[in-house]
Amino acid sequence: MSQKDIKNNPDHSSRGLMWKLLRTHISKSQLIGFSLASLVGLTIVILAVQFFQDVKPLFKDEDSFLRKDYMIITRKVSTASTVLQSSNEFEAKDIKDIEQQPWCRQVGKFSSNDYSVEASILVNGQGMRTMMFFESLPDEFLDVTDRHWKFDPNNPKIPVIISRDYLTLYNFGFAPSQGLPQASELAVSKAVKLQFTLRGNGNVQSFEGIIIGFSSRLNTIVVPEDFMKWSNEQFGSGIERNPSRLIVEVNSPGDERIASYFKDHGYQVAGDKMQQSKAQGFLNIIVSIVILVGIIISVLAFFILMLSIYLLLQKNTKKLQDLLVLGYSPNQVSRTYINMVIYINCAVMVVSIILMLLMRAYYMPMLKAMDVSGGKIYLSLIVAVIIMSLISFGNIMAIKRKINDLWIQSS
Amino acid sequence: MNTITLHNTLPAVFAGREDTGSEIWLREVIFERGKKYLISAESGTGKSSLCSYIYGYRIDYSGTFAFDGRDIKELSVDEWCKVRTHHIAYLAQEMRLFPELTAIENIMLKNSITNFKSRKEILAMMEQLGIIEKVDSLVAKLSIGQQQRVAIVRTLCQPCDFIMLDEPVSHLDDTNNRIVAEMVTAEAERQGAGIISTSVGNNVKINVDKEFKL
Repeated sequence: MSQKDIKNNPDHSSRGLMWKLLRTHISKSQLIGFSLASLVGLTIVILAVQFFQDVKPLFKDEDSFLRKDYMIITRKVSTASTVLQSSNEFEAKDIKDIEQQPWCRQVGKFSSNDYSVEASILVNGQGMRTMMFFESLPDEFLDVTDRHWKFDPNNPKIPVIISRDYLTLYNFGFAPSQGLPQASELAVSKAVKLQFTLRGNGNVQSFEGIIIGFSSRLNTIVVPEDFMKWSNEQFGSGIERNPSRLIVEVNSPGDERIASYFKDHGYQVAGDKMQQSKAQGFLNIIVSIVILVGIIISVLAFFILMLSIYLLLQKNTKKLQDLLVLGYSPNQVSRTYINMVIYINCAVMVVSIILMLLMRAYYMPMLKAMDVSGGKIYLSLIVAVIIMSLISFGNIMAIKRKINDLWIQSS
Repeated sequence: MNTITLHNTLPAVFAGREDTGSEIWLREVIFERGKKYLISAESGTGKSSLCSYIYGYRIDYSGTFAFDGRDIKELSVDEWCKVRTHHIAYLAQEMRLFPELTAIENIMLKNSITNFKSRKEILAMMEQLGIIEKVDSLVAKLSIGQQQRVAIVRTLCQPCDFIMLDEPVSHLDDTNNRIVAEMVTAEAERQGAGIISTSVGNNVKINVDKEFKL
């Protein structure tokens, strides 16, 4: 053989040679076993995280106008109360009692109009008239940043937040029957012209209305409190009335004590906030269980890889010691296996993310049918990276420790 | 590194012995750079142990080994790697070759971390030792004598202050013994390095400055 023949053999780098040397005894079946287990575990975890992100909006209070953790309560209207004409109003002592409950942060009163309101609604030249009502509640319960949310008697326009149910009624009831196009919230608030005519106390006045937004939680028509005060003075009878609806800010809507208090006092919670927090609670539990199962599988996979690495290092002990005696540092020697672990873990992570995205693409159309556009994916990606980093870190530490143990040999 | 000093050293297995009759154990011994030493021994007198203590991969001894006066137990892992790649070239008795690699791969495994010899020089040494035909043969397929020559080439692929050979020619004939002796001596002289060679009978044919009985 001539010297030329082997002159440029590319396999003679220390990395190439080390890999050739140290890959013996690598058990493909063990690594495939780890990769599959790890893939299943990680995919379950990130899919659960992603699914939770995606369905969360279903349970979220989408109402940007109301602060979180509030409940709207009324007294139960019974047949007896209708017959006996007993009051459904909350008296001062009732309110005080609620305020003193440990779960209560603050209580706000709904005020209603003490005069008649007639609204004319004009959409694309077609009109509709209806009798209406207003309610207002203290501004601190609202989270309205719109600059129109105020009333100026000198330039009287009435800003309103209306129930999203009305928009649904328009879109699915009124518009099709009148041959009108369905409209989005933004289009409606622009296209709909509102005119309110207030009558009472011998006064009649018409105002232009502006729709500030829609609320799915406030099942009413809300106006600013300063307008309510002003209009009741102008058109009302002047008789003070107790509120028939209260808004209660609570520490935790899921608190059992709240439900039993309301039940004992015959109060009703508007909307299904409590049902919803129960549903959200179930969702949390289910997602937590799924994530836990995924993490357990990941942990088991981690131990499979650890065992596989230990076995590999054990079988290659002599070679590793010879490399150290040859002058290779423990870091150089461990790098071969560390790189292997990193490659495998990265590959598992990438495949797992792809699987998660594929499954997401499968379920998203179902969620879209429920009008949920889906959450962001960065959280599940971060979770994937964190889990894989932890697994890799554990593996790397184990490899380094095992190889450092080989530094001093026994006789 | 100019000196390797042994101060009152004794393998742990010999602990308790007061007079071993050895000129190494429990004595004050200094190996100096540039000089040639032969340590002749009988089997079981701790010859390979001595080499492994000096090379830092065994510590089951009492007494002190020192490089330039510094206790070698103080050396960090990085310093030991430096010793093994830049200061002491070591041929272990058991050779520590990798049977699954070829002859040249075994040699390159060392040379790729020291970058000391060119491929041409390595092949020239192999040629000189009569193993050039075995360049691409797996070490597992080589005879013990051929393996010993591969290991000698590998040992010389690094800069050093000392060349420490543990029974370097135990499986070689007289001709190859002479070639190895010439090659090692030439390399030591080129680098100004000392030679510490052990033997249980078949001495490497080097003119030594001092001989110790272990």
